[in-house]
Amino acid sequence: MTAATSPEAITTEGTDASGASFSANPSVTTVATLVPGTNEAVTHDVHATTTETVAAGEHHEASEGGLPQLNTDHWAGQIVWLVFIFAVFLLLMSKVFVPRIRKVIDTRGATIAEDLANARANRDEAEAQAKQAAAETAEAHAAARKLAAEAVARSNAEVAAATAAEDEKLGKRLAEAEARIRSARDEAMGHVADIASETASLLVEKLTGKAATAAALKSALGKV
Amino acid sequence: MADPLHQFKIETIVQGPVFEVGGIHVDLSLTNSVLAMLIAVGATLLFFAMTTARASIIPGRGQVVAESIFGLMDDLTDSIIGHEGRKFLPYVLTLFLFILSCNLVGMFTYFTATSQIAVTLTLAAMTILLVLGVGFIRNGLGFFKMFVPSGVPWYILVVLVPIEVIAFVMRPVTLTLRLFGNMLGGHIVMKVFAGFIITGLAMGIGGYAIGALSLSTIVALTTLEFLVAYLQAFVFAVLTCVYLSDVVNIGHH
Repeated sequence: MTAATSPEAITTEGTDASGASFSANPSVTTVATLVPGTNEAVTHDVHATTTETVAAGEHHEASEGGLPQLNTDHWAGQIVWLVFIFAVFLLLMSKVFVPRIRKVIDTRGATIAEDLANARANRDEAEAQAKQAAAETAEAHAAARKLAAEAVARSNAEVAAATAAEDEKLGKRLAEAEARIRSARDEAMGHVADIASETASLLVEKLTGKAATAAALKSALGKV
Repeated sequence: MADPLHQFKIETIVQGPVFEVGGIHVDLSLTNSVLAMLIAVGATLLFFAMTTARASIIPGRGQVVAESIFGLMDDLTDSIIGHEGRKFLPYVLTLFLFILSCNLVGMFTYFTATSQIAVTLTLAAMTILLVLGVGFIRNGLGFFKMFVPSGVPWYILVVLVPIEVIAFVMRPVTLTLRLFGNMLGGHIVMKVFAGFIITGLAMGIGGYAIGALSLSTIVALTTLEFLVAYLQAFVFAVLTCVYLSDVVNIGHH
């Protein structure tokens, strides 16, 4: 603490503005110096020595010399202003601008995601529809093919049935005709014996002059 | 030659209340440093207000810029701190934008607030206080486990723990001095080379070569300084994330 106060005492003696009040209560000073931050006091120590030499060496020739930043006269004012300005800046940033930008970026992300999702959904829907259309086409093809096959089968069956009916009718007529022919032939064949016996009797009558007996005829015809 | 340190001198623009609190001289005047910070923060807020006022899903040019800065820090907190990083995004983003805008105001105007050690010190202190606060609130005394890596034999711990403690204590110092040193050095070098141009021209014909060389150097340095302006803001943000990650994920590393 004494190391901190002594160089400051020299500087303030140089300016001799507040030397009296400073030396009057040094204990209060050291406590108050620590209030803004202990770090400040540390660096203060380091650079106070530089200020001391500068003040000692060049004080008589020129009022300025060395780094003007190390003149602690304006430190407190600068620090108060800086803290105030920074606090306002921080407040506006954290309450207004950061949420605002964050919201825009998030909204953009959400919008893009939503659009992508929509596009994907549309694509899926379109694909589904295409698939459905393809399925419907295939189904229609199958139905058409089936219909055609059925039609062919039906017409074939009809043709076959008609053919069969026609065949049957023709067969019946054929059979009828054959039966008729057969009966006519049988009838004709039945008449042959009569004709033969008649012819034979007539021949016998013409040749012998007398009519042949029915028994003779019959036996003669039976030999044929 | 003009004093290259003059650019860092605090000058009062509008006199404000000056008082002493416990012996500390508090001068609340509107100085060039405060004005530079106000311009930087004001411009940044105006930019964000304009670009995100009618934020739409299909962004305009400004909105793309705002969103890419946001996205850069969002990725950073998320990748370094993990899924809880989102809670710290406002702080990291504000810190990054504050440093970046102050650095850039320093590039476009004459005063660089981040070349003031009081400013970088406060930024570092805020970060470390946040780290300490988060560390103790989340872990209680388990915070100290941070200095004791698990699965290390005791005889190595004897060496390791002091190193870890020193490394932790040095964090605010390095945070302060890295930003301060970069801004200070860059602007001094630019000013020095700018001074060489004047000196060279004053020397007559023979000095023209020096002037031309200095001018080309200063052009190159300016581009480098723009890179540094961005890089230092980024580094500060990255380190803040790393330090927060240490206390958020104690026992996971």
